[in-house]
Amino acid sequence: MDTVSDDDIIIATTGLISREVFERFDSVRNFYNPGAMGLVSSIGLGIALSTNRRVIVIDGDSSLLMNLGTLVTIGYQQPGNLLHIVINNESFGSCSEERSMSGSVSLSGLAAQANYASSLTVFDEISLKNAILETVGKLGFVDAKIELGGRRDFKRPLDLVELKHRFMHQLKGEVSS
Amino acid sequence: MSNSQFNDLNRSASSTSGRIQQALVEAEINFATGVPCGVLRRVIDYLVCDERVQHVIVNRESEAIGVATGAYLAGRRPIVYMQNSGLFAASNDISSLLIPYRVPLLMIVTLRGDEGEDAPQHLVNGAATTQLLESFRIPYTVYNANLDIHDTVLDLFKQAAATQLPTTLLLKRGWDKT
Repeated sequence: MDTVSDDDIIIATTGLISREVFERFDSVRNFYNPGAMGLVSSIGLGIALSTNRRVIVIDGDSSLLMNLGTLVTIGYQQPGNLLHIVINNESFGSCSEERSMSGSVSLSGLAAQANYASSLTVFDEISLKNAILETVGKLGFVDAKIELGGRRDFKRPLDLVELKHRFMHQLKGEVSS
Repeated sequence: MSNSQFNDLNRSASSTSGRIQQALVEAEINFATGVPCGVLRRVIDYLVCDERVQHVIVNRESEAIGVATGAYLAGRRPIVYMQNSGLFAASNDISSLLIPYRVPLLMIVTLRGDEGEDAPQHLVNGAATTQLLESFRIPYTVYNANLDIHDTVLDLFKQAAATQLPTTLLLKRGWDKT
């Protein structure tokens, strides 16, 4: 998160990813998608098409697989201000850590086929930071491979309407078209 | 797109489809996304062709709910369109994104499986569509020829603004023949 500009918008996917971002890095420029499984990148696309600011989508591997058509939709629209990061533990990590199928396919390969301008797979934090810093001004995808595990007791975002109002307030007046 | 046999924007402004367009213009709709249904072709023609509207093609109705929510969060005025089959497909996204986040937008949904339906796969959805919307407690109107569609649409926008909920216009086959 220290590589992300204050001006960047963060949209976090369902489950532990939203909860961890909310507990550790909450900000008015964050939006959380606790319920509509798989739609984080769709929400990010709608925002990216409506603002000049950079939108960073923090997706999960199983979340992306639930809505794989999103890669085609986003690649077709080609928003240059969207960076789509997948936190990939090859599992349904927010459930009971059941294995998913994402180990059997190259997610960055799928994104490249769907016409993302930049598509990387990274295996460590420094490479992820570099990808966030360097993927600017073009539609980007980063498959960030991580180990399964970690804390499971992050608090939940609860006051969703208040979270929405503060997010919309900080974006207000910046509609691009 | 402009040479499509289905493209027919020169219809009379007094026709039902002309009146629905007029309502969308007055409501200052500037973003649209959805999955096509043949029953909606005149509405989709308008959304694709009017340069005041940014139209985003998606693959599934769930995506449309997500994309429209993003556009709304960024200050746009979106609508979503789909068949009622898609309303069921996207029902978790309506109930766990639009409603708890209080996203007020109009969903234009075709009501297949109504009286006279010849396709058996639509019958269960057709009988359950208004019950789904009622169980979600979101406002809806089933259009019929006794209603003025322009006023109906503007009223649904007003209800969306007042309740901060999604509202639904249900259109049966033949809605645009009046």
